[in-house]
Amino acid sequence: MEKMNDKLQNTAKELLENKEVNLIIGFTKGSNPLRMRSVFITDPNDVSKLSFNAHCVQDLAVFLKKPEVKKFGKIGLVVKGCDEKAVNTLIQEYQLSRDNIKIIGVECRGAVKQNLADKGEDSVKQSTVYDKCLVCEVHTPLLYDYLVESDEPAFEINGDIKPYAKIEELDAMSVEDRNMFWQKEFEKCIKCYACRQACPLCYCTRCIVEKNTPQWIETNIEETGNAQWNMIRAYHLSGRCIGCGECERACPVNIPLMLVNEKMARDVFEKFGYKSGVDINAKPVFGTFDANDFNEFIK
Amino acid sequence: MENNIVEDVQNARGDKEYSAGGAKDKDKEPRIIAFVCNWCTYNGADLAGTSRMKYAENVRVIKLPCTGRIDPLFVVEAFKKGAKGVLVSGCHPGDCHYTSGNYHSRRKYTAFRDLLSYLGVDINRVEFSWISASEGNKWVSVINEFTNKIKLLPDNSDIFSKK
Ligand code: SF4
Ligand code: SF4
Ligand code: SF4
Ligand code: FES
Repeated sequence: MEKMNDKLQNTAKELLENKEVNLIIGFTKGSNPLRMRSVFITDPNDVSKLSFNAHCVQDLAVFLKKPEVKKFGKIGLVVKGCDEKAVNTLIQEYQLSRDNIKIIGVECRGAVKQNLADKGEDSVKQSTVYDKCLVCEVHTPLLYDYLVESDEPAFEINGDIKPYAKIEELDAMSVEDRNMFWQKEFEKCIKCYACRQACPLCYCTRCIVEKNTPQWIETNIEETGNAQWNMIRAYHLSGRCIGCGECERACPVNIPLMLVNEKMARDVFEKFGYKSGVDINAKPVFGTFDANDFNEFIK
Repeated sequence: MENNIVEDVQNARGDKEYSAGGAKDKDKEPRIIAFVCNWCTYNGADLAGTSRMKYAENVRVIKLPCTGRIDPLFVVEAFKKGAKGVLVSGCHPGDCHYTSGNYHSRRKYTAFRDLLSYLGVDINRVEFSWISASEGNKWVSVINEFTNKIKLLPDNSDIFSKK
């Protein structure tokens, strides 16, 4: 980790000193050593705060949507491979200019689940990392300006743990059973919208839940509005969600949102051969069409 | 005409007139909401009407500019207000008045249907069709077939209906 941190800090220092960026967003040690938090650096003398390890769970790309961050203009972002796909999607959707971002990609070996880390877990293995890490194809970010290589070995995957196993289980259920499953989950929702706030791609200045003429989604906590909110959030992220898992991690009542996100990602790939956040030059899947698209369900 | 539609929509919304799934409404006819585009399907339905063709009276038509304007939220809203079936219908591929609204819509509904089904809504309750202004008889058959299908479905509740 020392070598990694040195390279990270040197890269950041250079970028700030040469005025190539005005702000670096990265990770720093929290008061709890097994929790890393975000840090915003504008002074080259502060780069020693930067650090990276398996507890850097947050997708820092989320800050790119904030006006108070945008005003810095050119920004350097420390980012893991999975999270970097959010940067790509933001570029694809014209929310971010490639010229305004320096991507400091870190090679990531997996992130330890925060609930386990809070109990003291510090080792990276298939039983301690997030499901997304088990299916990760981007340990090295797809796009970067600087790459900070990892000095840790890759963890072993032996197939004992099936990531997102519940999806197949749900697919095999009857509609009534699926309905019951989700009804139970969505009942818990307290409409705090933390899932939205934590998502790097939920950047609408006025979210559908804030539109009140008409009021599409009821603001109080009742089951129909809860279901509607969760449905529409998932729908708005279909074909865009890059699977960082931040929404699920932010949810205070532990609704398994990734089961919906991942399902839709698979669906969009199956139907349109599209994976989100892979290519900054690709058209977003719902921003385009093909005359020969899937037509089977239409009379 | 317009007033009737408004009234019908209000009735479809009001739980007193009809609500999907409620045991007390067992013998009530299921309500179907059809969201149609202004340029093709609406005229197709109009043709069926002016030609005095009969079709199931369960359907209530709501006209919108284009299938591209028919946000999936409308479908959910219809379910929430008690509709048992929802039809989305517009111009044939290549015929959209706005060139490509229906192509975009098809993509979005492909994903949306799968999402609905995954969340436990019987996907038989949503129908999609291309009906042109000259296809009055297609309108009649689509509505009749869909209504028959809807009538055969059990009255299960979905996550969007109030209990
Ligand atoms: S929906 Fe969730 S997993 Fe997908 S990009 Fe947003 S925060 Fe990440
Ligand atoms: S839920 Fe939909 S409307 Fe709300 S911020 Fe996310 S994408 Fe925008
Ligand atoms: S974070 Fe969880 S509880 Fe909060 S609005 Fe999202 S789904 Fe509901
Ligand atoms: S105008 Fe009919 S589908 Fe676009």
